Amino acid sequence: MKLLLRTLVQPYYARNAGFLGVIVYLTFGFMRPSDHHALIAAIMGSPFLLALTAGLWAIYTLRATIFVRQLLNEPPQRFLLTARLLPRPLRWGGWLLVATMLLIPVEAYAGWMVQRGIFHQTWIANGLVISIVLGLIAASAGAIDHRIRHPYPAQTIRLPRPNWTIPYPLFYPGFLLRHRPVAFLLTKAVSLGLLIGVCRLYPTDDYDQRLLLIGLMMSIIAYSPICRTFFEFETTWLRLLPNLPFSRFHRLTRYALTYALLWLPELPVLLQNKPQTVSAGYMALLWLTGWGWLLLFHARSYRPDWNPDRWQQQLLFGFLASLVLIMFGFPVWGWLLLGGLGTGWLWFRNSPSPYHS
Amino acid sequence: MLLTINNFRKAYNDTPVLTIPLLTLEPGTHWFRGINGSGKSTLMRTVAGMLPFEGEIWLNNQYEINRQPVPYRMRVNYAEAEPLYPDFLSARDIIQFVGKAKQSQPQQITNLTQLFGVDQYWKQPTGTYSSGMLKKVALLMAFLGQPDLILLDEPLTTIDDRATQILFTLIKEHQAKGVSFGLASHQDVGLTELTIDRVFLVENGEIK
Repeated sequence: MKLLLRTLVQPYYARNAGFLGVIVYLTFGFMRPSDHHALIAAIMGSPFLLALTAGLWAIYTLRATIFVRQLLNEPPQRFLLTARLLPRPLRWGGWLLVATMLLIPVEAYAGWMVQRGIFHQTWIANGLVISIVLGLIAASAGAIDHRIRHPYPAQTIRLPRPNWTIPYPLFYPGFLLRHRPVAFLLTKAVSLGLLIGVCRLYPTDDYDQRLLLIGLMMSIIAYSPICRTFFEFETTWLRLLPNLPFSRFHRLTRYALTYALLWLPELPVLLQNKPQTVSAGYMALLWLTGWGWLLLFHARSYRPDWNPDRWQQQLLFGFLASLVLIMFGFPVWGWLLLGGLGTGWLWFRNSPSPYHS
Repeated sequence: MLLTINNFRKAYNDTPVLTIPLLTLEPGTHWFRGINGSGKSTLMRTVAGMLPFEGEIWLNNQYEINRQPVPYRMRVNYAEAEPLYPDFLSARDIIQFVGKAKQSQPQQITNLTQLFGVDQYWKQPTGTYSSGMLKKVALLMAFLGQPDLILLDEPLTTIDDRATQILFTLIKEHQAKGVSFGLASHQDVGLTELTIDRVFLVENGEIK
């Protein structure tokens, strides 16, 4: 059981700390406990809102379960596929534990809802909430067991293959679309949703541009699992890269191109939803800042002694610090400069190659 | 001197796995033998510029792996023991990418892919390949460009007899052109038809 927690649950929370951090910030940063009490009371009294909540929990469960299913097909975790040989009750016990641990955020909020439900005596809603959570845990465990019984799926998502040779900047986007489609699309949805939401807060009034910067920071923090997976993709599937004679600058331009491609959809969204009082130039600057900061995140991970968990923590603390700076009026061009200079400094400060200490 | 390894120390999580105070290699073909886990692959991958380490590695007394990383890597090629590539990419995607990086001529790529028979399947995604097919892709990529030193990690595993003969022929042709080889193998390469200039034993974190 300890092995399952270390190989499946721990990586989930470690790799998704940024995403979960944004969710926690959105959930508890803007709402006081009394607001949550009112929201819970509304959910427990409305079948529609309860169904909506269950839908959000189901999306979270889907994301976490797909993550674990994909992990089971990655070379370092493939030894776990031998769990097929274990007796079914023991195997299912393991998957139920894994699913329970994966769904801790859902269980915690559901627990709070049930506690409020007891206070308001909404017994049917309480029963439904408990059933939904148990159902999600069972579904997640079943999906993990299915992967164990059907390992190495014959094909990943089939996307049309071009006749031309695929260039390097498309390697990683191709990997994301074929191997991490749900995680990638959810990350995109969160990122784009945050930007659209922040842009539309005050569409016509005199707009406080600090809100746009906060939205941008939340958006790129939600992107951090994508940066992390990039490094892991290359160290697992493109191990030959360090042997190739690319200069540091050359490597940086390749990463810059890849991130530009990944981050490109945010540009039209920012321009399309720009508040009336904000210029298109400012929105373009905002996009450039986001691109620069994604490169900075990557540059921070591009080192021989990289510790992904510490990196994730640094991003979260950095995010909190950036909120304070934004509130004190640190401007967007300052963030752009900081991102660009920080990337350059991190990239070139050590040895000519990141693979040497 | 082809390769000079000086004050070399490679550790994983502060546990030293390979220590080389000084090792000099003349041009030629060198066989590094040792049991599984002895550190052969670590040595190969480090000399190929793929792993961090402490110390210095010089090629031709001219290019240090850290200080001249681009010209060094242009001249040192490497084939992994167990190659792994993104399963949605074709061998053509990967070979073209590596070939461009190593400044290989298109004709060289055509010749090598035909020689190994990789051209028969190189447009298919690598996820459909057997381990032998993957190995042939890795081996042919080690010959791309104009290397001075080719490192082959367990070159004889997973490939069939025909591919083995092709590999031997290719090695001999390159030996004649003055290209040096570093072979890491637990198998007895000395029993093959290859000319081996020096044999090293990798054992207990040292090279003897």
